[in-house]
Amino acid sequence: MTRGNLDWTIETREGLRLIAPIGRVDETTATEFAERLAQEIGGAASDGLTRLAIDLASIDYMSSRGLRGLTLAQRQSADSGITIVLARPNQIMREILAISRYDKVFQVFDDIDDV
Amino acid sequence: MKVRFWGTRGSLPVAQKAAAIRDKIAAALVAADGRRFSDLDEARAFADDELEFAVSGTYGGATSCVEVEAGPEDGEQAFILCDLGSGAREFGLDAMGRCARGHARVYHLFMSHFHWDHIMGFPFFVPVFDPETKIVIHSGHADAEEALRRQQEEISFPVAFDWLRAQISFVTLETGKPYEIGAVTVELIEQNHSHKSYGYRFTDAAGTSVVYSTDSEHKVDRMDQEAAFVAFFGDCDLVICDTMYSLADSASMKEDWGHSSNVVAIDLCHQAQARRLALFHHEPTYSDADIQRMHQESIRYEELTREAAPLEVICAYDGLTVEI
Repeated sequence: MTRGNLDWTIETREGLRLIAPIGRVDETTATEFAERLAQEIGGAASDGLTRLAIDLASIDYMSSRGLRGLTLAQRQSADSGITIVLARPNQIMREILAISRYDKVFQVFDDIDDV
Repeated sequence: MKVRFWGTRGSLPVAQKAAAIRDKIAAALVAADGRRFSDLDEARAFADDELEFAVSGTYGGATSCVEVEAGPEDGEQAFILCDLGSGAREFGLDAMGRCARGHARVYHLFMSHFHWDHIMGFPFFVPVFDPETKIVIHSGHADAEEALRRQQEEISFPVAFDWLRAQISFVTLETGKPYEIGAVTVELIEQNHSHKSYGYRFTDAAGTSVVYSTDSEHKVDRMDQEAAFVAFFGDCDLVICDTMYSLADSASMKEDWGHSSNVVAIDLCHQAQARRLALFHHEPTYSDADIQRMHQESIRYEELTREAAPLEVICAYDGLTVEI
């Protein structure tokens, strides 16, 4: 599979690892997305954090590959005692999360401050 | 090419209850808003043109059975059927009527797999009692005959397999090889399901194609396998896919149940540049309203995620005929 390119911003605030991918999560970027998530979960666990938020504000769209990557990340994070939540989906992502019912398996916050 | 859906439910057949019919009638009466109709035709036109399908119709309750009609419409082509769910009973009756009008008494049956909901129609498939009928059962499973014989052992059914009068034979097909069968070229792909399942691609002489891919789980930890399905669905005119569960369900509580979702089916068809997707193998607990909602959501997801040509998303129902 050819690889696309996602940009990321990462920060830690008050016991929360906040990661913000930028771009589209589709068949060309899904592997990178999943691998980076795994890396950040590992890092959060090493730092003793218990929460990781994925800021979706700069995600234009996520395919089923990306959504299922979230499931894999959720499994890994559960093993590490970390809870993954989603934040600030745009309107397209809101609909995708609803249609896929992923809004039933992940907590979704409108505002980072609410996480 | 025509595709007729004789059974579109998964797992087990379901039937409408009286209360559900009453609710449909009540909704129709409210929508009519006091309108008067001069005759049944006028009332039917109102139902077709102004009512939601979940009110005016039903997705049905028979289990998987799909007919592919290909080749010249001269009655000399063999029947082509995918799976023998409970919908096979009605197909068999219809086929016998066509045979009485001169259609060839030859059937090529293509089995995705041999779970109960995909074989339960066989003992009620009337052509099996006709000694002039030839039935060839194709599958990727070497134990196909064993599966059909077993369901007609006396403990399960009063008519033994050996009492059937038709000329019945079994052929085991291999993936990666095209077969010329009847009026189509047939290819198959192995799918993730308990005891394996197989999807089929049928292509006629004009290059028109339809894929039947049911009971196929696209697993969360095996997404690398999906390139093969994109290739199999490539440039297809109609892809029939198992869309039984939501993506979240199929990836969590219903993981390893052997089924897939509307979201994955649309993504695969987009990548494959298929032209039309039929949602299929409906969850038996879903009402008509539930299935219609899933269909509408699927159409919306296709709009949201479309990058090139639109993919038409239809929802299979018992009795639907699609012309390709």
